Amino acid sequence: MLASLPSALQTLANYRIHNTRASKEVVEKGKVLLDAKTASSLGDDAWAFLEQLTLAAIDVANYEVADECLRQLAAQFPESPRVDVLSGIRMEATQPPETALKFYDELLETDSSNAAIYKRRISVLIRIGKIEQAVTELSDYLDTFYTDVEGWVELAELYSSCNQYTSATRALSHALLLAPQNPFYVLQFAETAYTADDIPLAIKMFMLALDIIDRHASEESIPTGVSIRAWYGVKLCCRALSERSCSSASDTLLPKNLPLLDELSTERVLTAYSAAGKDNATGRELVLSWMGPSDRSGSRLHFVR
Amino acid sequence: MVNYTVGQLAYLKIFFHAAKHPHLQVNGVLLGKKVSETVEIIDAVPLLHHWTSLSPMMEIGLDLARRHAESLELQLVGYYQACERLDDTALAPVGERVASKVKEGFTHAVALVIDGDKIGSPDNAALIPYLAQSPSSSWRPYSEAGTAVPFSSGSSFSLSPPDLPARAVSLVRDQQLQRKFGDFDDHLEDVTIDWLRNKAAMTFDIQE
Repeated sequence: MLASLPSALQTLANYRIHNTRASKEVVEKGKVLLDAKTASSLGDDAWAFLEQLTLAAIDVANYEVADECLRQLAAQFPESPRVDVLSGIRMEATQPPETALKFYDELLETDSSNAAIYKRRISVLIRIGKIEQAVTELSDYLDTFYTDVEGWVELAELYSSCNQYTSATRALSHALLLAPQNPFYVLQFAETAYTADDIPLAIKMFMLALDIIDRHASEESIPTGVSIRAWYGVKLCCRALSERSCSSASDTLLPKNLPLLDELSTERVLTAYSAAGKDNATGRELVLSWMGPSDRSGSRLHFVR
Repeated sequence: MVNYTVGQLAYLKIFFHAAKHPHLQVNGVLLGKKVSETVEIIDAVPLLHHWTSLSPMMEIGLDLARRHAESLELQLVGYYQACERLDDTALAPVGERVASKVKEGFTHAVALVIDGDKIGSPDNAALIPYLAQSPSSSWRPYSEAGTAVPFSSGSSFSLSPPDLPARAVSLVRDQQLQRKFGDFDDHLEDVTIDWLRNKAAMTFDIQE
């Protein structure tokens, strides 16, 4: 068991860095470390580890482990706002939502600068289905804590879930101001704009996402991950633009050479499939036929508004 | 009123998709055909677990799924989703849109919403069917005439074979098959992921 300790610690540290929610695994590995009482030997990392284990344990309803971690953290950091947040989350897991909300309200009364507590309140509201109130509180929160990029993205997702796509793009535009080099946010903006039926804006943002990725790309030119989604998006937009007249609520101008973009996006997506090898890329024939010459037989499914 | 049966392939795929992302909304489409007065829901194709309110990748996935269905001589016959919250069993706005689109091509289209509270119990199908009068009308949870609950005996909705929930639970719990399951979102990250068939996750004896 001791031999696997370093690798377990490494895995857990990786999860922390990447914010991975592999709760079952974290508890499996973390419990071993907790039981072996080696937590203190981790130095400063010990507390980040205990916090991670607390959250994972709550996620899989292992309250014994969660409570033990919380006990150690509270002993080490009495009256810590960060530990307060964990206590609140623990409360949310087994107490009625109103109890947690009350707990958060009391904390905010003594310290109105604890941003994390506002967000816990909003999470609870979302969880009990009070979306309108959550949107209001989140908007208010962002008025004060403007630089919370995650908050803007969460607001956008809340709006999207209620069919308010234009409001979602407005929220995302703040996220883009704060983090202009993040291709995920740009991609999310593009997909939201498409859903809001602003095709010229969508294609512009798909291209921007590709531009950002390109700047940081290595020598290979095989599209992966975000690029594939973005090229698919460009292709979808080109098709929509060639089949019907698309207005732009944001007055975005169309890109100049649509037929070229159409060809390029087709080629880029198909390259991704070819690169994977004939036997490995699944559904390649289907994609090929989907790419095929535009047919107006109505055999494709669109969300025409 | 036609009858609906949900077969093993379809049920297990829906179950694995939800089990793989327990804290997220997931959705996908149902494949099948109508055989006299019964809609047989034979297979399912999982679509998204990420940005499930946004349409572009959904549209592409739907289109590809439809072509895949045709290659199997099946049709798109419905839509399924699992909600983020346990107590939420409503059909999301995006779900209504997709289901209505499917209904345009198949009159008896059905939307199945996973009952987050009941799923995991071996004797409960944990599926709530939604039906609509027409593609432009709203979708309502189906309520049986009399006292039958959907998927219980006497209902128009049934599982075939009836012990599917127990089977699904044991496959997830004992073999972790949902870990080998991939949807269109996963496929967009890695085109070698077999989202249309998911053969890697379906490694058990398929009984007809």
